[in-house]
Order: sequence, then C-alpha cells, then structure tokens
Amino acid sequence: MAVEVAEALEAAIGELRTALGTEYVMTDFHQRAIRTTNTSPMGLHQWKDLLPDVVVMPASTAQVAAVVKIANKFLIPITPRGAGAGLADGATPMKRGIIVDIKRMCDILEIDDEDMTVTVQPGINMQELNKVLRPLNVWFPDDPASYPVNVLGGRIGAGGWSLLGTGYGHVPDLVCSMEVVTPTGDIIRVGAGGGRKIRKSSVGYRLKDLFIGHQGTLGICTEVTLDLAPRPQAQLPVFFATRSWEDAHRMTLAFNRSGIRCLSGVVMFDEAKVEFLRRDDEAWIPLPEWVNSAVATICYGTSVELEAVKSSIFDIGAANGGVYMGQEISEGDWASRHDRYHLAYHGRSDGTIRLMSWSCEDAAITWSQLPTVKRRWYEIAEALVAKHPEHFDIWGMFMYTGNPFRPWGDFLTEIDIGVNELEMTPEIWADWVEAKTQIARVSVECGGSVSAAHGGTREGEVDVACYEELKDGQFDLMKRIKKMLDPNNIMNPGKYHLDEAYEDEETA
Amino acid sequence: MSQQLSSKPFYDEKIEGTIIPLPLIKDCYAVFACRHKFCREVCPVYQDDRDESHTSYGFHTALLGISQGMGELADIRETITNCLECGACELRCPNTLFGGDFYGASTTTVDLVRKVRRDLVASEIGFEKYEEIVATVDRYIAYFEGPEGDLTKWADGLNLATSGETMLFVDYFNAFETTDIPRNAAKILTAAGVDFGILPRPGATLGELLDVNLETFVEMGRHNVAALEQAGAKRVIIINPHDYTYFTRDYTTHIGELPFEVVFITDVLEELTNNGQIVFGEATASEVFSKVSYHDPCTLNKICGITESPRSIIGKLPGVTYIDVTPVEQWSYCCGKGNASFKTLHPDTSYKIGAKRLQAAADLGVSQLVLACPHCKDQLTDVGARSGVAIEPVHILTLVAQAMGLD
Repeated sequence: MAVEVAEALEAAIGELRTALGTEYVMTDFHQRAIRTTNTSPMGLHQWKDLLPDVVVMPASTAQVAAVVKIANKFLIPITPRGAGAGLADGATPMKRGIIVDIKRMCDILEIDDEDMTVTVQPGINMQELNKVLRPLNVWFPDDPASYPVNVLGGRIGAGGWSLLGTGYGHVPDLVCSMEVVTPTGDIIRVGAGGGRKIRKSSVGYRLKDLFIGHQGTLGICTEVTLDLAPRPQAQLPVFFATRSWEDAHRMTLAFNRSGIRCLSGVVMFDEAKVEFLRRDDEAWIPLPEWVNSAVATICYGTSVELEAVKSSIFDIGAANGGVYMGQEISEGDWASRHDRYHLAYHGRSDGTIRLMSWSCEDAAITWSQLPTVKRRWYEIAEALVAKHPEHFDIWGMFMYTGNPFRPWGDFLTEIDIGVNELEMTPEIWADWVEAKTQIARVSVECGGSVSAAHGGTREGEVDVACYEELKDGQFDLMKRIKKMLDPNNIMNPGKYHLDEAYEDEETA
Repeated sequence: MSQQLSSKPFYDEKIEGTIIPLPLIKDCYAVFACRHKFCREVCPVYQDDRDESHTSYGFHTALLGISQGMGELADIRETITNCLECGACELRCPNTLFGGDFYGASTTTVDLVRKVRRDLVASEIGFEKYEEIVATVDRYIAYFEGPEGDLTKWADGLNLATSGETMLFVDYFNAFETTDIPRNAAKILTAAGVDFGILPRPGATLGELLDVNLETFVEMGRHNVAALEQAGAKRVIIINPHDYTYFTRDYTTHIGELPFEVVFITDVLEELTNNGQIVFGEATASEVFSKVSYHDPCTLNKICGITESPRSIIGKLPGVTYIDVTPVEQWSYCCGKGNASFKTLHPDTSYKIGAKRLQAAADLGVSQLVLACPHCKDQLTDVGARSGVAIEPVHILTLVAQAMGLD
C-alpha cells in the first residue's frame, strides 16, 4: 500500500470511529476475512487479495450517510454487505476499502395491517420479520432458499428471486418504496406517492427499480416499505416422480397452462439431481429405481381453494406420466426447503467423499429452450469434470418457475456444481471461469438471461452479461448512470465492469 | 497418558501461532464452506450484537483465515470469548443436521471454543478477563481443600448417608450458592422412598476449568468417579445439568467409560411419578391459577437432549396451567449466563440475553418461568430484579417439593 493511501486510510478510520464509535469500526483480520466471502465459491487462493481494509457497522441512516461522505472525502471504496448470503459476489470487496455491514440496522419501524405494508430497516431477516407478523395473520412472502439467514438489504441489492414468486411476486415486486443513501452520501426516497405505500403510480420515472438489483453499486438501502400478503390458510405441496426428464418437462407445461391461480411454484428435478439426492442426502427419502426425474408443485391459498384444485393437480400429474410421491416426501421435502441446499461433505458418484463448496448457475430461460440449455450445459460441465475430476462434481439441475405472479414462461434454471476450494489452483480456477463463461453464453444464445436471481457479477459470467446480454445500449447506459450517481466510483467498484465508465474519461 | 480433548482427536494438537493442523483446517473449512450461516441466526450472542464474528461461522472462519496466512492465534483472543458455549450452533449446522451421522463430522463448536481458549492460555497469550476466570476457579477449588463438613453443609439436618447404590451428586454451586435446590432434591427422594447417599468430599465440576485448565478438570473428574465407585454407586443422580454434560460427555471423553449409570434428576422424578412413588397433593387455592412456562437449560436441551421429563413433571403438577415453547424454538434462547465463563467475560451482553429470555416468557402471559438449572435460576433472578420484568423464576424442584407438601 502506497504511503499516501495508507495515510488516507488511517485518517478515514479515525473519522469513522468518531462517527460510529470505536466498537463499530473493526480492523482485525478475522472481522475482515469473514466479510469477504459470500455463498458462492471463491477459491481460497484468492481470499487474501479480497480482504477489505476496515469493517463498519452503522446503526442508522445518518451513520450510513456519514460513512459514505467519509469514503468520498478520502476516496476509499465502499462495499455494502447484508447477510453475505448472495451468490454473485455482490458483497465481496474487489478493491478493498470499507465494508458497510448493515446487520445492526434491524428494527421494524411500522406494521400497517390495513394498507398491508411493513416498514423496516434493511438488516432484518425475513424469518424474524415473519415471526413478528404472524399474530396479525399477515406475512412478507419472500421465500428464497436463504430465507432463515438472509436480510432485506441484501435481497434488494441482489434483486432477489423467491421460491413462491409465481404466487406472490419476487423482491422487486414486493418493494413499495425505499430510503437510499446514494454514493455521494445524499439521502433520497424512491417509490411512488406522497407517502411510502403506493404500489402503482404513473408519475415520473420508475427510479425505485434502479435501486433494486444493482449489487451495491448505486447506493445503500437504509429503510424499506414492503408489500404484505394475507397469511395463506393452507398449503398443498405435491411431488410427482417421472420416468424421464422429458415427461417432467411436458408436465410443467400442462401446469403452466392449467389456469390454477393458487399455483405458487413449479419445480423440476432432472435425472442428475435425483441421482445426487439419492447418493448424498440422507434426509431424502429413498425412491424406487425407476424414478428418473421429478416435478414439485406448491399451491398456497385458502383451504377451500386448495381443496377445489387438489384433483386438478393430481389429474395433470397423472396425465403426463407423473406418479405421486406421497404426502410424507411432498410435505417433508417442501418443509425442509430452506435447510438442505448445500452441505460441504459430499459423496461423489465414484463413492469418494470430498469437501466441496457449491456453485449454482441461475439463468432465466424460457420453457421452450430448456432442453437445449440443459443439453449444452451438461456438455460444458462434463468436460470440466473430465479435465479436473478431483476439483469439480456435477450435482444436477433444478428448474423453477420464475415469472412473477404467473406460472408460465420463464424458468430459473440452475445447474449445481461442486467446487473443491481447498485444493484450488489459479490454473484450475481459470478453467472454471472459462466453463462459467460458456454456460452463461449458452443462456444468452438461447434467448435467456445470465441470472434470474443472483446477479451477473461473478467472474466468468460478467463478461457475457455486460458485453453480450446487455450489448444493445444497456451496458453503455448503465455506465453513464453509474458515473452520474457515483462520480468518485466509491460504491462497490469493480462490479459489472462499471469501472470502464471512468476509464473512458481518462482515455478521452 | 495422552488425553483426548474432544470427540475429535485432532483437537488435541495445539495451535501454535499461525500453524493450524490439517485435519482442523478441514474441520473449519466444512463450516466455512457451508456459508449458509444458520449457526449465526440461532446464536443468542449474535442476536444481541449482530456481529457474525461471534458465531460458529466466525470462529471456524477465523481459524481457517489463520491457516491461510491472514493472522495468528493471538488475533482472536478477544473474539473467542464471545461464546456462551450453549451448543445451539452445533444443532443448527447442516453438517450436524444432515451429515453428522452419515459422514461422522458433526460440528463441535463448544469443544473448539474451549480448545482455542486453552491453547491461548497454554501459549501464555490468555484472553480477555482470563485472570477473573482463574480467580473464580481458585475460589471454588479452595472448597475441595477446605474442611470436609463445608461441602455438605447444605444437607445439615437431613441425615443423609455417604454411600449407597444410588448417589446424589451435588456440585459446589448448588452446595454453596443455591442450597435450597439440593435440599429439595434430597427431601423429594427421601419422601419417595429412594435410598441414596452423598459424597462427603465431591471434586469440583467447573465449566471454567474446560476453558483454562483441562488437567485439573480431569483430575477432579477422576476423583469424583473413584469416590462414587468406592461409595458403591450403581446409579448417580445429577441435579446440576452442567454436571450432567461433564459426566456424560467430558468424563467419558477424557476418563473413559463410567462404572455407573448417570441420570438427571428430572428423569428420576418422572420415573417416580409414573410408578407412584411420588404423589402430588391437591392444589391449594393460591396455586390453582398458576400459569407457567418452562425454560430449557442449554445444557439439557441443546447438548444432552433432555426435554421431555421436565415438561412431563410440570404437566402433572396440580393447579398449574402450562404454556409450552418447544425445545427447538428454545435453541435460540439462553438465560445469558452461558455454559461456563460468559457472564464473567461479558456481563452486559449476558444481562441483555437474560432480559430478552424473561421478556419472551412475559409475552406468554405467565407468572412463573420454571427452571431445571441452578445457574439459570441465579441468572434470571438477578436479571428479573434488574430489569423489572415481572416473571418469577422458580426451580422445578421447588414446585415438586411444594406439591408433595415438603415445605
């Protein structure tokens, strides 16, 4: 670190301590190391290079604004951080600097069960929020796999996707309005109406959307008003086994076209996923050998509604080659959906056990393109595993309905790959990044998006996202917006190749 | 003789500066690689301070970071004190939940925290308020070396034997700080017709020793096992749930298989009520409207899995309306005192965790919170007095003795 940079950092830390209190400005290595990672693999060889210089834990909007102003004063990068449960490296600092950990900002500010909103600070976790809402018979229906651990600020920064989004909408659909500290330290409110609670308005630009899914590059949400829903009286998870993935694929189209309004999600498990669960998940109830793939449907609604649609669900499943897996596996697997999505110990197909982390591609793909994407993704993944059998393992695919409020059209399409981080080398990591690039390219070539849920910021996919998916003027506009809002490139620099906005100026 | 410091033999190997043994690196990586951080959300300390470095994920990641050349053991001397040793994170960890049996690799954060604290002491680094912990240990150990009658003064007038096939083991905290608890236990067992004895000079059973001085813990353990065996014990009844963890987990790990059965007092009382040896009287008018809940001690609920017998007994008490909070929901609860040193190390956080627990009981609309642990009783009584939360912490043996008319 150059002397002048070190001096600026030391001066900034001094001002941060004055603003927040010494206790909430942390420089110990372990405080920084734990806030470098997120849920996606990084390769331990990279860890040290990604450490921030300092971690702060503000407690209020004013403190967040103070931190941002100090960062601008000393030109020190800021990376906002929620639960660290993201899968796109959004909360990983690429240029060191200050981590702004928002988890102390976890208060519920207002519950309005007449206009059906709740206003919270961004550090609150959805499960904790719903515990408080439960007695009022309302809930905040955001239901990602990370439901028990994630926090609202991170969900908004990533533009999160919900397992129940087909019934209740995803995070972008559930935000009424937000207070945001911009990259220059200004405090603004985005959203419609003179208050905080209007969902639909035609006044002005839809600026709210600009501050959702930006991966911490455009500001820090410090308060948010969320849309609530009546707590469903009942749920009906029904899992079907099929003899082929093609049967499962066809069955989902039938569900998509069924017109069942309380259908809140449909999930396909492909043959490799079923095989993976058989060999690796001791909580997965054993299935007969003939079971190749599976389709899970979940309906939420009133008891009367669900009773009425039950026979339709079973009829559609049976008519498309599905065999009901039974109540125990349907209800049990659905109930444990938040607990089981990754375990570091994994049995591989050759019977060995190797510690691996979990990588999850999450493209948005239309139903018609799923067979092509599936075939081409496996070709890429199998080539990678063939080259590095000790470092990667294929854990199969899920496809989830992704269209908000409707079960047709988009599917969040996920291929899970085990990654041996402990024994990673730069050379093998380069092959991994190349495989990710190829996977992302297939998604875009098939008309899809690199990411339905996590964001397109990871090494490997970010090139495809910026230069291929967003090539028709969108990426250029993103850079202009970024530079306008963040003239010093303070907020999460290095993400989405937005540094180019500032390089263009230097070149000129 | 080499001593196994936990159920993971590689915890035996001391961490020196920046050197982390490879099996421990893998053990830490298994928690780090999970990254779901369920352990974080269930941790009572994290729920208060929202600092994830004070969680199982934080401790394992810190050690992994040391192994990657980012720091050294001395750097975590403060953060490693921020653990209640309650065990909630171990239960909530997917490695334990879904892979523990299958891969033989449950997460053992409590053992890890104790090991790191001991390694810090052995490296002459120590940790925050280490001297206060040692002073507490010294104060209790002095009882062992003091006059024999002092250790059984709590039993004055009860005329208890000092041998027998059934032995009641009474720890120093109960013997000196909460004497009504062992007295009630002795009265109840006597009234139920149980022949039992007590040790005239039990050895110290201190969780603090597991944090700072394993050798003395084991030495005292060997004394207890030998003395109980010599007294003829075939069955040892424990009334402090912390002791129950030491006998059933730590003694078996460090000393070996015990030559007697070890049972917790509520399991014994459940047996005695089921077979008719304990009979409760009719509820008095003042008791009829008693509405209570039960606090699962971390040691029983999260470490030993004893959750049914206290509820069963409370359910049989005359005139009591019981409002349950499930054991799983109570994974994230703690009285705030912790398993050993926490209250000494972090009194403010300890108080806030305790106040939150009492308030959760108050929100149920109960008047009493039933306890099965002397440390919870001591802590929540103190917290209640300071916070003004109008809930009476009451030990389960007090209620049983009252219901049997033994006052």
